[in-house]
Amino acid sequence: MSDLLGRSDPAVVPTIGSALLRLGVALALVFTGLGLGLGYWQVVQAETLTTDPGNPLVQAAVRAAPRGRILDASGEEVAVNVRGPNGERLRSYPRPAMAPVVGYQSLIFGTSGVERAYDAELTGLKPLGPGGDMVRKFLPDPYDPSDLHLSVDVRLQEAAMAALGDQRGAVVAIEPSTGRVLALASSPTFDPNLLVDPAGGQAYLDSLRGQRASPLLERATQGLYVPGSVFKIVTAIAGLGSGAIRPDTTYATQPAEYFDGFRVEGFSIRDSPREFQTDDPLDLIEATEVSSNIYFAHVGLDTGPEAMLDWAARLGFGSPIDFDLPTAPSQVTNGDGPLFGFTDRVELANAAYGQGETLVTPLQMALVAACVANDGLLLRPTLVDRLVAESGRTRTVEPAVVRRVSSAGDAEVITQAMVTAVEGEFGQSFTGGAKVPGVTTAGKSGTAEVGDVARPHSWFIGFAPAEEPRIAIAVIVERAGTGRDVAVPMGGDLMELYLSLID
Amino acid sequence: MSVIVGVPVERPGAITSTLRRWGIRPRLRNLELLLLLLAAAALTVGWISLASQQAGRVTTGDPSVLMVYVGVLLVIHAAFVITGRRTDQVLLPVTGLLGGLSLLLMARLPQGLATQDLGSITLGLAPLQLFWLGLALAVLAVLAIVVRNDDWLRAYKYTWAAVGIGLLLLVFVLGDPTNGARLSLRIGPIAGQPSELLKVILVVFLAGYLAENRTLLARASTRLGPISVPPLPYLLPMLGMWGIALAVVIVQRDLGAALLFFSVFLTLVYVATRRRAYVILGLALFLAGATALYFLFGHVRTRVDIWLDPYVDPLGSGYQVIHALYSFGRGGILGTGLGAGLPAVSGTPGDLPAIHTDFVFAALAEELGMLGALAILALYGVIAERGLRIAVQAADDFRALLAVGLTMVIVIQAALIMGGNLKLVPLTGITLPFVSYGGSSLLANAIIVGLLLALSDRGVEPPPPPSPRRRFLSRGGSR
Repeated sequence: MSDLLGRSDPAVVPTIGSALLRLGVALALVFTGLGLGLGYWQVVQAETLTTDPGNPLVQAAVRAAPRGRILDASGEEVAVNVRGPNGERLRSYPRPAMAPVVGYQSLIFGTSGVERAYDAELTGLKPLGPGGDMVRKFLPDPYDPSDLHLSVDVRLQEAAMAALGDQRGAVVAIEPSTGRVLALASSPTFDPNLLVDPAGGQAYLDSLRGQRASPLLERATQGLYVPGSVFKIVTAIAGLGSGAIRPDTTYATQPAEYFDGFRVEGFSIRDSPREFQTDDPLDLIEATEVSSNIYFAHVGLDTGPEAMLDWAARLGFGSPIDFDLPTAPSQVTNGDGPLFGFTDRVELANAAYGQGETLVTPLQMALVAACVANDGLLLRPTLVDRLVAESGRTRTVEPAVVRRVSSAGDAEVITQAMVTAVEGEFGQSFTGGAKVPGVTTAGKSGTAEVGDVARPHSWFIGFAPAEEPRIAIAVIVERAGTGRDVAVPMGGDLMELYLSLID
Repeated sequence: MSVIVGVPVERPGAITSTLRRWGIRPRLRNLELLLLLLAAAALTVGWISLASQQAGRVTTGDPSVLMVYVGVLLVIHAAFVITGRRTDQVLLPVTGLLGGLSLLLMARLPQGLATQDLGSITLGLAPLQLFWLGLALAVLAVLAIVVRNDDWLRAYKYTWAAVGIGLLLLVFVLGDPTNGARLSLRIGPIAGQPSELLKVILVVFLAGYLAENRTLLARASTRLGPISVPPLPYLLPMLGMWGIALAVVIVQRDLGAALLFFSVFLTLVYVATRRRAYVILGLALFLAGATALYFLFGHVRTRVDIWLDPYVDPLGSGYQVIHALYSFGRGGILGTGLGAGLPAVSGTPGDLPAIHTDFVFAALAEELGMLGALAILALYGVIAERGLRIAVQAADDFRALLAVGLTMVIVIQAALIMGGNLKLVPLTGITLPFVSYGGSSLLANAIIVGLLLALSDRGVEPPPPPSPRRRFLSRGGSR
């Protein structure tokens, strides 16, 4: 039929049919690959893609769908929908003090805060239950917006914002047994109602950006501060946890060092002058009560750089905290030195009482207090209690254990030390202002040096009631003076208010 | 092949006896009819779904476009029955279903994406596509019925190669640069993309060349380092192909066509010789060429970079790729339903640029879901299966290689553009056969299926008819 050349020896030339079989197999593999690609994008990645902020679908939903409300722990509305002057859908914030938590949703500037973190749920693009999207998209109105019920108590939040007033600072309060955030105040903040106003929003945003106090900075979660003496609680957790110290550990040279300074490689560590010092060396509880830098420098050096970093990391240092809002990572050291990141033993000794290169966020310190209050068990901080969709679907956020940081015994010792710091004979003079009347109160004050000229940061962390903690708190007021003068009474007042609210 | 074999029509009437006098014996094609009716039913349901979605109530809308199309398919089926060739009965329904899906999509997209003024009437996307589909199906039918002899393909392979290179040069000289790619050739009012035709011509040439030389290519060898390769003279066509592919990228700036040419070529060489050395050598050449092009040419680099990470420029060069992915995600398993996809949501016509050419697969996957997209995948799988089957049953090497090559043009093309939509391979501007909008592409693919159908003719039936005639493949022809 055809003039096939050279077919004299067909045995060595493979038939076309045998190659076709292999080709068929290869094609089957290619088509399988395409099918898997379809499955990847249409099943595995489907939800990520349909809730991506760049998706026109999401942008259309923002305009078309009524957005879910945001409510505080007791059901007070903190974000609702209103109609703008031209009939457009606008967000209104009846309780502007919630701005550091709720953020804003603007047609021009997008979203921030919880409005951003739960955008897909608020617009109703993300179904609350699995498989909810399968059928719902066939309905004429495919969106199922959810109301957001926050754990934050707007009364405590407003009190915290009022207490901070014009000062720069932050307050973070957490329910220790659940990780629910009760207040998250940053000062100064902004008025979200002015920001989402289509007419004046741009001018207001420009004015906010121009302010030196940076009202758009979320200090509670992203402000990094020198912690001062409140960090001694972290050192105590590390010392006890690693076995470097016991509750009755004392340093024989400490009484003399109180007068002469504790010399570490030529650097002299000193305590603030105090009325209380006998020839008997201090133990952990006494050292916490009088906030001895020298004692905790010893603890830090005995614990060693590696264990210090390890135990701090257990508390969440070194990486962003898993939270609904973006968080900055806290650090024990900036990590560029040869000694596991520390420059030398001097830096380690300084870090042990919260100076050195140590920087923390208020949220991180609130977690430290909450962890001690919760018998050493670290819980994930949460802002949302539950979501209730228009369709009735509900999602409840359950407490989640991050990890056990300290044994219950260690946590008990540290609690005792913190109670003594507030209520002890000598501690009272530093931290007594945090005492909640009629309630055993645990706390630790801090006065963080930030250079020679500027006034120190005023710090307090604590919790109450010590036996059955309902609230753990961290307060920082920037450049406000000693902990005793500013942050300590503020923390005490807020804890007292909250305990009276929940009674 | 088919389980249901056509039954010769008994008791010849007046018409059939007239036909017989012309040497034509009508025979029923029951499988084809059944599959065509199934396809028509699916398309009707799709049309009602689309019209109802657009109207907001259950309605058939204006079904004239669909009715014309189904009518064309049935007329072609009738022509096949009357002319009575024992050709494949699956290819026409599969092609018809793909074309019908294309019509559904074109009817649903903004009609202004393609327009043609005819005096006072302006035709939009769907009528234009219907016109091209009708023309393409007519070409397909004519080829399937008329081609009974392959000498004109077999004997003049070098002529065909010259025609192909001539077309390429013509585009190079007279080409109409659009979107940075010099693809289309405009002669008076008619614009076409010669590279669509080029791929058919190339397959014809390669099938002829390889059928003639495959014994030598498969056996002879010289050693080149660790691998043994055939003597240099036999490698020249391979290097020539490589050169043509590169030229297509450089001259036409058409990455997709180059990829298609080269992969069809490698497949054919492998099928003809079954030598892995050719494939390895070919892939090495491909990688070398691709690397060089990546660094030399901006448009190649852009394509690859967007493929690796479209989010580098989400509003610019990465826009299409990202939005195609949004479409897939939006579709999910069941899809949104015809007419309810993303372009409807954003309300912007042409929200996804080139949605009617490069992104038809993404658009259909959104509206028909993963199940629908898998079905489309399966349709191309069926074409591949039929094509390979035709090759296996072919009477000689030329016909087998021709069938494989033609099949691979459609299948690789489909795989490349579907893979590009799915971000599995870099996106190239080639069409999804029978689904994408565009006359050149439809006609070229119709020629391919028409030739495949002609190749699939199993000749006269075993019990010889009263006056046995050889209907095909007799040199010199006997029509």
